[in-house]
Amino acid sequence: MYRLSKMRFGFPIGLFLLLFIDGSISQIFSRQMFNTPSVMVSHLVVLWLVCGVLFEENMAMPLVKWAAVIGAVFDLYYTGIFGVYIFVFPLVVYLTRQLVNYISPNFLSGLLIYFIDITIVEALSFVASRAVHMTSMSGSSFLVNTLGPTLAFNLAMFVILYFPIRWVYNWLK
Amino acid sequence: MQKFSFNRRLVIIIVCLIVSFALMTVSVAIRNKKSTPPLIQQFGNDIVGLTDRVVALPANGLSGSVSSISELLNTYQENQQLKKQVSELAQTKVRDQTLAKENKQLKQQIKLNDSLTDYTAISAAVITRTPSSWQNQVVINKGSSAGVVKNMPVMSGSGLVGRVAEVNKTNSKVELITDNNDSANRFAVSITTKAGKTVNGVLSGYKSATGQIVMDNLTTKSKISKGDKVVTSGLGGVTPKGLFVGTVAKSVGSDYGLSTKLYITPATDLSNLNIVTVAVTKQ
Repeated sequence: MYRLSKMRFGFPIGLFLLLFIDGSISQIFSRQMFNTPSVMVSHLVVLWLVCGVLFEENMAMPLVKWAAVIGAVFDLYYTGIFGVYIFVFPLVVYLTRQLVNYISPNFLSGLLIYFIDITIVEALSFVASRAVHMTSMSGSSFLVNTLGPTLAFNLAMFVILYFPIRWVYNWLK
Repeated sequence: MQKFSFNRRLVIIIVCLIVSFALMTVSVAIRNKKSTPPLIQQFGNDIVGLTDRVVALPANGLSGSVSSISELLNTYQENQQLKKQVSELAQTKVRDQTLAKENKQLKQQIKLNDSLTDYTAISAAVITRTPSSWQNQVVINKGSSAGVVKNMPVMSGSGLVGRVAEVNKTNSKVELITDNNDSANRFAVSITTKAGKTVNGVLSGYKSATGQIVMDNLTTKSKISKGDKVVTSGLGGVTPKGLFVGTVAKSVGSDYGLSTKLYITPATDLSNLNIVTVAVTKQ
């Protein structure tokens, strides 16, 4: 199924496009998003991966592999610290697949799943950055200044982009 | 069978954790010690950087046109204010030229070729910004082929904004001074006080709550007052002398009362960078 559909090319193109849009949004709206101390981080790549799981049905897409690839590109191009997102993105895909087994995916349960995913992405990258001394932020200020605003921004993005992305996935199938 | 699969999962998780930490440690070590990343990483970054331009150029262009429309609204007032400044500036510029010429002649007389203030500038455009809350980092469109070398200071507008952290062939990463990691903002600076004394020191951090640069462990007796200008001192490294960092906002005693702690207001708006300048010193 996957090999014969437009998804085979459409999925990676969308993935890379959203990776670059993440960076461009951060650059263009840096005054609003990196308004210190509170920081909003855009994670549209994670949204595309999670939507891949939600709309996959019985298509069997190689999501974990693509998550590792995009994680590697993210590490090399954006952060320069190799070995963080290359493991975090596949973990998120795996976890979302496990959750979808228990909860049937729709708009509201998708919002819940995405909430959990963003929390895991941010928390793990925080732990990794603390471990290699990339940041000296304390745990409590991480919760208030980074995790809270980031969740708000990304859940808003989920609400806005859920139906457009579903339309794109249905078109690609 | 159930037990076996659980064990296998545990082993996979532990192996992933160990590999992850090993990779992170190695890449941090390379970032701190080597002047360029490994060739494969450079090559990958160059390709990704080129593809990113396809997305980033239209996006940045769009935001540029939107901001130019909003700037059009207060152009009239700005024009009147600027006209006053221009007449003063012309005078300063002529004086500056004369002084530079005189300086050059004097240097020739004492056979001094390069001093700490000499640098040439490479201007670069910001392609994108790292979407991460602990790395205040931007990617610029000039790399080692344009002459950028690691650790060079980067300026925007009137002041210092950061330093080059990683150099590829056609793009490089700039760590901003708002970044609070162990190595981002340690610039050697000097302050000339109102009494004419020079105080040297090193920047030590960034206070994100107020948006001020922190300079700690100053053991000087001379009085530093609000509004004193902070410039780079050119000591120890590739940073030239005389790059403007900011003005002193507050001078307080440090936590143990033994030294002085300064809060410095940065000279440029660090959250809005489009065009930056890399300062290249002759070595």
